[in-house]
Amino acid sequence: MIETKNLVRTFKNGDVVTSVLKGIDFKVEDGEFIAIMGRSGAGKSTLLYQISLLDEPTSGEIVIDGHDTHTMTADEKMQFRLTKFGYVFQDYALLPELTALENVALPLLMQGKDRKTAYAESTGSLSRVGLSHRLHSLPSRLSGGEQQRVSIARAVAHDPSIIFADEPTANLDNESSRAVLDIFRELHKHGQTIIMVTHEEPFANEAQAIVRLDDGKITSITRHSHVH
Amino acid sequence: MFQTLNIRIGFFLAVRQLRRSSLWTTGLIIFVMVLTFLNLVVVSGILVGLLQGAVDAVRTKYTADVIVSTLDDKTYIDNSTNLLALIHTLPEVEAVTARYREAGTLEANYKTRREADKPNIAAAQVVGIDPAAEDAVTGIGGDLIEGEYLVAGDYDKVVLGNYLLKQYFPVETPGFTTLENVGIGSKIRLKVDGVTREVTVKGILKSKVDEIAMRVFMDDSQLRSMIGRTDGNVDEIAIKVKKGVDPAVVRDELKLHGVAAGAKVQTFEDGQPKFLKDMIVTFNMLGNGFSSIGLVVASITIFIVIFINAITRRKFIGILKGIGISGHAIEISYVFQSMFYALLGSSIGLILVYAALVPLFAAHPIDFPFSDGILVAPLGETMFRVALLVTTTVIAGFIPAWMIVRKNTLDSILGRN
Repeated sequence: MIETKNLVRTFKNGDVVTSVLKGIDFKVEDGEFIAIMGRSGAGKSTLLYQISLLDEPTSGEIVIDGHDTHTMTADEKMQFRLTKFGYVFQDYALLPELTALENVALPLLMQGKDRKTAYAESTGSLSRVGLSHRLHSLPSRLSGGEQQRVSIARAVAHDPSIIFADEPTANLDNESSRAVLDIFRELHKHGQTIIMVTHEEPFANEAQAIVRLDDGKITSITRHSHVH
Repeated sequence: MFQTLNIRIGFFLAVRQLRRSSLWTTGLIIFVMVLTFLNLVVVSGILVGLLQGAVDAVRTKYTADVIVSTLDDKTYIDNSTNLLALIHTLPEVEAVTARYREAGTLEANYKTRREADKPNIAAAQVVGIDPAAEDAVTGIGGDLIEGEYLVAGDYDKVVLGNYLLKQYFPVETPGFTTLENVGIGSKIRLKVDGVTREVTVKGILKSKVDEIAMRVFMDDSQLRSMIGRTDGNVDEIAIKVKKGVDPAVVRDELKLHGVAAGAKVQTFEDGQPKFLKDMIVTFNMLGNGFSSIGLVVASITIFIVIFINAITRRKFIGILKGIGISGHAIEISYVFQSMFYALLGSSIGLILVYAALVPLFAAHPIDFPFSDGILVAPLGETMFRVALLVTTTVIAGFIPAWMIVRKNTLDSILGRN
């Protein structure tokens, strides 16, 4: 479970202080699929970075699975990101010199798994996203949709508590976007917590709840009746 | 930082980055490392080799491994016959040559010179040798550039060093004269100890060792008769020891037999002039200076290469940190890459030096005016330089990686400054 209390994030540029998040109170239960929506500059990505421990809030609290992240060291946060979180970025964020299999296996190796186990689990993960035939392809040889599926395979390979997805379909055509959302739906069906930032209403409607932000504040939380 | 897991992941990343990097870029970096290695080893090696060539030439052509010479207050080595007999009994000795040595003058144009003409005279050390024994120790028989070497009993025949002849040593120095228009078969007048004899030039030998190039060699029996030396006492004894024998052993053995009371006993090293020893130290310092510059250049090269690599991959470094890869593992991956460049560059350099350059310079020394320069690259010193190069390169590779890795993770991912 993730809970934020009065979360504030400001950026300073010389004397100019810009408040991007202005006191966010927000809770995500285990197994929920949440979409965060809002106009450009509303603060949706910034919110995702705070709760996924990629950035430090200026003030406020973030509690994840009972841990107050404010008291965590950088190493503890790194361990949290490695073991409990999975990330799917807008631009796939794959390492160009690693094959699909190696990209997926890297976090598993960092967790201390031996190469055989890591590669076996990664192969399984890539198979789940329909890429068992592209294990040894470099990202440059994959289409955008395939790269994003590798990115999802990397995010789920270590069975994380939460998947954070930042505009995962923004760079994809309609068909590939559908495929990615199908994977998310499938993961959610198996109880995976997913928090996804998107600006596309039809895709947001796939989620259980839509959190709308405007000018750094939550303006509404809409829960859909459909449950996968 | 150097936990097994970090090293493992660092190695995993480094290998893949190297394997899939541009072949041209990798080749260029390794080429720079090879050049740096050669700069480290060859430049100083040639500087030292320049003098080492001179030292080696003095050793092989003049002093041999051990030289026995007259005491400062004596004109010859006392009891030379017994001493030579003793030397011949030593098992470490391979060959011995005994030399008679007197100051003398040579005159070339005494037959054609008119009253008012300037005499064509050169001062020289006249050395009486047993030609076969001398050749066995110093091999000067093979250094002739004109004519033939002496044989035992050659009557009134001489071999001249090249510095005594104007055509080989055209230097105008006050107080130093050379003979003009003298070649093989020329008759010259040799004056030693007030005795004058007309001799024929049988051979001309070339050497960059002054002691050889400014000498006149003749059969020892001929010189003995000129200087009236009938007691068998000689002025120099050069001893060549067997391969693998330390010359100091023979020196010490001779001293143990009391030879030092009647003669100066020195190894080739003891006999080196102080200026030469000082020059070796100076050239070593110069070589180290050039090497240090080479090291700095290598460090800066690797720093720039890794910095550019890390800065252009800043986003990916951010992603790696973002997905939970330890910053230390990322730094270690760059350390491995630097190490790879340095080790491969050094290995190619080592092969080039020991398989090509050292044998090449040994076979074809550089023709410096005062020595035949060789490449001196003792393996121990070279390996030390390799270690130095690798260490410097690793540090130079780590610093930029550390600078980029410590940047804020999200700023790196988003490309923010």
